[in-house]
Amino acid sequence: MLKFARNKIVSIEKKDQDTFMAHGILDDDIYSLEIDVSIRISDLEILKISGKWNRWTTPACPRAILFLEEAVGLCIKEKGFSQKVHKIIGRKACRHHANLLLECCSSAKEAAMLAKWEDIKAKNKDLSFRAFLRGALKDEPLPDPSDKVSAGEHIEIKDQGPYVAVKKEISGGMMIDLHVHTSPASPCSSAPVDQCIEEAKRVGLDGICLTDHNYVWEPGRVEDLREKHGFLVLRGNEITTDQGDMVVFGLDKNIQGIIKVEELRREVRRAGGFMIVAHPFRGFLTFGVGQLGLTPEKAMERPLFKLVDAVEVLNGKVTEKENDFASKVAGGIGLPATGGSDAHEVSEVGIYATQFSDTIKDENDLVEALKKGGYSPIAFRNQRGEAKR
Amino acid sequence: MANILKYSRNRCTSVEQVDDHTMRSTCRLQDTLTDAFVEIMVKLPDLEITGISGVIHRAYQEECLNPTDSLQKVIGVRIGPGMLKIIEGLIGEATDCKQLAFMVEECCHGVILSFTKDVLISSPRPTDADKAKEFYAQMVKENMRLYNRCAAFAPGSPIVEGIEPPVQ
Repeated sequence: MLKFARNKIVSIEKKDQDTFMAHGILDDDIYSLEIDVSIRISDLEILKISGKWNRWTTPACPRAILFLEEAVGLCIKEKGFSQKVHKIIGRKACRHHANLLLECCSSAKEAAMLAKWEDIKAKNKDLSFRAFLRGALKDEPLPDPSDKVSAGEHIEIKDQGPYVAVKKEISGGMMIDLHVHTSPASPCSSAPVDQCIEEAKRVGLDGICLTDHNYVWEPGRVEDLREKHGFLVLRGNEITTDQGDMVVFGLDKNIQGIIKVEELRREVRRAGGFMIVAHPFRGFLTFGVGQLGLTPEKAMERPLFKLVDAVEVLNGKVTEKENDFASKVAGGIGLPATGGSDAHEVSEVGIYATQFSDTIKDENDLVEALKKGGYSPIAFRNQRGEAKR
Repeated sequence: MANILKYSRNRCTSVEQVDDHTMRSTCRLQDTLTDAFVEIMVKLPDLEITGISGVIHRAYQEECLNPTDSLQKVIGVRIGPGMLKIIEGLIGEATDCKQLAFMVEECCHGVILSFTKDVLISSPRPTDADKAKEFYAQMVKENMRLYNRCAAFAPGSPIVEGIEPPVQ
């Protein structure tokens, strides 16, 4: 017996010489919705959109329809189109409408290809679709190799100074946010690096780690940041593996795309670095790992935990239950535990941090301290009464 | 030529529980240019993809016609947050056939939605506004990632009225 089924239908008709009308229906066990999208054939721009719900869940779901209009003007052929739809329609309206819209748009793109072939075939009757495709696909722009998961190597940082460079005297014991994302190095962050550092100072941290997605900060640039702000700024990296995200220290290799976790383990070991599994039990929006029947004991059996040096058990982007679960797993296996805000906005810096007993001056000290142990994750802002601005 | 379609697409995703520890999710696509089928086997409770197969009978991109090797790249991946990046990355490195990655994602979304359905089965009807509002407000309080995740949970929605937004 089926546990769940989803059906989607898209029909495209040609309204006039340069306009397609796409009608999409999504019907599954939970939701039922329809959209109508008018698309200009020549440049695949969305001209008009409307939608309706047939079945929905929350009493506020109908609000989503008002936001569908934000898709007007988007161009299906444009680089990053589907990310834009997820961000604009998925977040402001509804992810299911976004899913159906993408289905309509990808159908329209193929329909436009067919329409182009038909136009050419009208003058050249012998042109087969396959022959047309060979020519058409040859002319398609090559995927941009920099359009990968990271922001790329050379990021220009706009100086937002002046800053007061007050060198903080640290004597034994330091609190460092081990997991921070900055803009533009991490495309998902809206927190400029200078502001993150100033915020870390403001809330009383002793240091901050820049762990942008698949991005290696140049040592010289980070040294400049330290000087400019008079604050401990350390280099790290958050790398996506086939088993999830890893926060890595002491590895200077620029790793792009998705790497197998075993391979990353080898690279980190070779470099003498340290690898922390980030938010290992980040769950789903409407249910947690408990509902799946996952217990800490079962989770401990994951081969991943034999490959990492520590577990992030306090992460600012997951729920308390998910953090607790990670803590139980780390404790059960006997792996060290760390804390980091996973900040993507300035105000999130320092939500969680890691308290070290050693003095840390640079990345080498950090890796040494991480390997040595004797540190613990802390809910830094709560401790300081800084839960909210 | 009045009202004759230029293009049509049907996509069906279905999920079944094979046994206590295994789920099967399939995605079938039939449209004007493509006829494809992808199936994943998922192990509970980790939601790890333990098996995958696919057949593409018809496709306009030649690279889509032999999907087996590319699909195997996602074996061992766990369905969960961040999976789209992983699936697109792993399959994208092996093939230019974008439809394959999308079909795997649809299979994975099907699995997630099957668990969402289990949660929502006990939810009040949206027409029972007060009870429904309370039910979903509680869901947001228990998982603040839901806050501002869509129009229903955005500031201004009655569901999140009185709920403090996460630290911003």
